[in-house]
Amino acid sequence: MKLTRRELGATLAAGAPLAAQAPSPQPETPAEELKAAQARLGRTTQTLSKFAVPLAAEPAFSFKA
Amino acid sequence: MAKIGDDVFFATIGELNARLRAKEFSAAELARAFLDRLEKLGPRFNALALLLREPALKQAKEADDEIKRGRLRGPLQGIPCGAKDLLSVAGQATTWGARPYASQVFDYDATVIEKLASARAVLIGKLAMVELAGGGGYRYAAASMFGPGLNPWDPTRWSGGSSSGSGSAVAAGLVPFAIGSETWGSILTPSSYCGVTGLRPTYGLVSRYGAMALSWTMDKIGPMCRSAEDCGLVLRVIAGGDSNDPGSAGKSFYYGPQYVRPIQELRVGFAPSDFEEWAEPAARPDLVKALEVLRGLGLPLKETQLPEFPYGAVAGLIIDVEGSAIFEPLIESGRVEELADQKQIAGLKAGLQAPAKDYLKAMRIRRLAQQELRKLMVDFDVLVAPATRGPAPKITEPLDRRSAGLAKPKSRGLSELGAAGNLAGLPALCLPAGFADGLPIALQLVGRPFTENTLLALGREFQQRSDWHRRRPPQ
Repeated sequence: MKLTRRELGATLAAGAPLAAQAPSPQPETPAEELKAAQARLGRTTQTLSKFAVPLAAEPAFSFKA
Repeated sequence: MAKIGDDVFFATIGELNARLRAKEFSAAELARAFLDRLEKLGPRFNALALLLREPALKQAKEADDEIKRGRLRGPLQGIPCGAKDLLSVAGQATTWGARPYASQVFDYDATVIEKLASARAVLIGKLAMVELAGGGGYRYAAASMFGPGLNPWDPTRWSGGSSSGSGSAVAAGLVPFAIGSETWGSILTPSSYCGVTGLRPTYGLVSRYGAMALSWTMDKIGPMCRSAEDCGLVLRVIAGGDSNDPGSAGKSFYYGPQYVRPIQELRVGFAPSDFEEWAEPAARPDLVKALEVLRGLGLPLKETQLPEFPYGAVAGLIIDVEGSAIFEPLIESGRVEELADQKQIAGLKAGLQAPAKDYLKAMRIRRLAQQELRKLMVDFDVLVAPATRGPAPKITEPLDRRSAGLAKPKSRGLSELGAAGNLAGLPALCLPAGFADGLPIALQLVGRPFTENTLLALGREFQQRSDWHRRRPPQ
């Protein structure tokens, strides 16, 4: 898949850099730890959701027949 | 019995090979000396997973027999080595650094192990690692069934991960070279913290058959050595196509730094903010000196920065999702609770819950990032940046808190080169580049796919004009 410079420019303009994360308190129990891991995943999803991907962009893996 | 001293334990592959050929000692004598040293000192750094005394002595005898018959197989013949404990060795325990797999034994050799054996290298031990190569993320250096990897330069400091034993063992002169693996940082970080030269090859250049999978689309296997030259000699042996590895690029590697175009013609990109702002203050003076060594080679260094992408978030999500899918049976069985690090346990569990759309989005952004990096690398043969922000942290320090107090640089620079390079499958060479607070620090050189010879040629020139890679930790 190829993108024109314009398409890419639009994509990059829509993208947001990772925000600096303020340190949060250390989780103390396994349940808190799991909650923290889920929250990290949620923040990642948010970061990715701010990044507009052109329809033509295919995932970066390929399979050999 | 030949006398084997410290000069031998810290010799390069080329030096050892010359002394073997000159019959100063036999491969068996060399293996015995390194076996004794690894057995004695390996546990001091939590670097040893398994000593392979009997098989090693058998391999060494075979090497000696061949050398006597004039059957010379190349520079690794008779040279002792170690391998990260994620590589299977037939009939021996392969623990992946994790308690749930403590008694796991495979009946076949990893391709890399087979290739080393064919070159008549002598595998003297399996080396400790962070459990499951740290796939779920981990908070403490102690995230391993072997305990925290301890740094030979200061055992209160971490050796880095996840190839922790490989880094410590090479630095402490317990093996002349070791095999490590990297998904994101696992060769470069321990190489930097321990002051050894490590090479992360292009994705697909070295077969991963028989290695623990953490991320099918990001795992790479590479050498950790005393010099760039040694990395080239080892890569020559372990690289190559393999139909057993679906990610194999089907390419060979011939070490030939002499065929790279003149060093002075290489276009090298760097970002001043990486050295002046992103690096920890204690690391800046020597990193800047190292940059001057590169300039002294007559290289035109030109300022640049990475295209803007959320590299860290993309790489993190891909590893989370692929790693959790790989270890789903462990997670579902409940045995995941036997892991040492609570953050790792939680990270693996959470990764199973990530929606497919997020993974696919990450992989689509990855494609765009790859394209933009390819364009950037049209203008540059090599990008150079600090390998890590500073020297090794204390083993008691939470690893995820380290950068919390550091200011964010004004410019993006190349500070996310680790994530970007791993996402795009680019090769990287870690070169010892000085000291901060008495601990090693390093530069990373990153090139276009399959340009390992360029990185190694530049690394070799750099190491001819610096001696950081020759320094030894206190005994």
